[in-house]
Amino acid sequence: MTRVRIGAVLFLVMAICPYAQERTATIRIAAERFRFTPDEIKVRRGRTIEFRLESDDTDHGFRILGTDIDRIIPKRGRGSITVTFTPDRAGRYVFECSKLCGAGHEFMHGVVIVED
Amino acid sequence: MAHTFQPGLKPRAWLPLLLCLAAAPAEAQSPSANERPAAPLSSLSGYMDVQFVNPSNADAFIDFRRFVLIFAHRFSDRIRFVSELEVEHAVVEGGEDKGELELEQAYLDFLIDRRFSIRAGQLLVPVGIINERHEPPTYYGVHRPFVDTFIIPTTWFDAGVGVFGEAGRGWRYRAYAMAPLDAAEFSAEEGLAESPQKGSRAIVRHWAGTGRLEYLGIPRLTLGASFWTGRATAGAATSDPRVTLVEGDGRGRIGRLELRGEIARVFMNENDAATLNRLRALREGIDPNLASQLFGAYIEAAHPLTPFPAPREVVGFVRYERFDTQYRMPPGYVPLPEFKRSAWIVGASSFPDPDVVVKVDYTVEMNESATMKAPRAFSVGLGWWF
Repeated sequence: MTRVRIGAVLFLVMAICPYAQERTATIRIAAERFRFTPDEIKVRRGRTIEFRLESDDTDHGFRILGTDIDRIIPKRGRGSITVTFTPDRAGRYVFECSKLCGAGHEFMHGVVIVED
Repeated sequence: MAHTFQPGLKPRAWLPLLLCLAAAPAEAQSPSANERPAAPLSSLSGYMDVQFVNPSNADAFIDFRRFVLIFAHRFSDRIRFVSELEVEHAVVEGGEDKGELELEQAYLDFLIDRRFSIRAGQLLVPVGIINERHEPPTYYGVHRPFVDTFIIPTTWFDAGVGVFGEAGRGWRYRAYAMAPLDAAEFSAEEGLAESPQKGSRAIVRHWAGTGRLEYLGIPRLTLGASFWTGRATAGAATSDPRVTLVEGDGRGRIGRLELRGEIARVFMNENDAATLNRLRALREGIDPNLASQLFGAYIEAAHPLTPFPAPREVVGFVRYERFDTQYRMPPGYVPLPEFKRSAWIVGASSFPDPDVVVKVDYTVEMNESATMKAPRAFSVGLGWWF
């Protein structure tokens, strides 16, 4: 009976893992004055996006307009942050640097395009 | 049905938005008020640049070159204010040749769409690498490049209005109408360096146009091209000469090697340049011997000298520049060889923090004069950004 239970659990784990991987898109974004790279990201609706953000110079902000996501990306050499975002509607989600980073700060933004 | 979050209006929505932008509350465009994050509405930043310079042809000096405070305020997700107030050379004394208190930027952005937004106020001219990107940790060397001083008069700012945005696939643009240059301040030695009117009761008999196109479609590479054209103020509308500047630049990284380069050329009609020389000779008593074309270019390479990442990072660099403020002369005028210059600058920058830099460099300036020897200089600089 115990073997059956263990087998069932293993089966479930194996079944769920690929599904979870498929449902999560990991996007690495490099932030530097005054750009995000990449600055245009396309995903299918319902997928969770895991942003991994790292700065190449000063600290920047990462804010997705219309959501409560607003995080500081630490300075170069001080690691990265991970931000998870699950858009529930198709459309264009603009993200921007939310920490003043220099004369070209207003140019520093990008967009997540969520498609049906 | 696709839901578009602001600022992402369709192009056909621009016109009515332009008409009612000032009156309509920005929140009216938001998905809903309770989705708005509690990000700070106002922010303060700044930078500092202090220099010790020991030139071969003068006494050594220490200069608190720049102290800058940047204030920004977000009225809404659509309307934002940015300003940059700078004290140069530490002391400002009225009517004396001391420091300067300058309002380098003070503008409102009306963010309509990533592809098209409006900017108005005191603006940085979008020409070259340094003019819009001049925080000390962002460039190597204690001093800004000569090309970005004499050919492109950084920090070049003036009053104006314009548009900016992204054209897709990594293309980014800005285009402004701005107050023109002051031709009474053109100089044979320093080119356009003193000619911006800086939004201070700037005379606008003719508007100048400026623009920049950038390509950021390839990671670690930025390519740019920019221009300025307009009839500079010379005292009388009929004699205002058209001045056109064209520029191209690039900067990128290959592994840990950083490369950047810039080329710029200024054009003035030969007859206009000759007329301007005669007009200024009559007014000032000395013929200024102004050129009809100026030229400058530089290339720079930088590479970490130590294998350590921040905060023990030390980057060495070398830059070669050519700059000629009398590249082409109007008929009857002869260029002076001391203004056909080049320079090697070699040095290092240490970053105890990514936003703090200690710089040291040695500049070897050269010219083609047999009698006027160009100076050399040892410089140390300290800068930060926060």
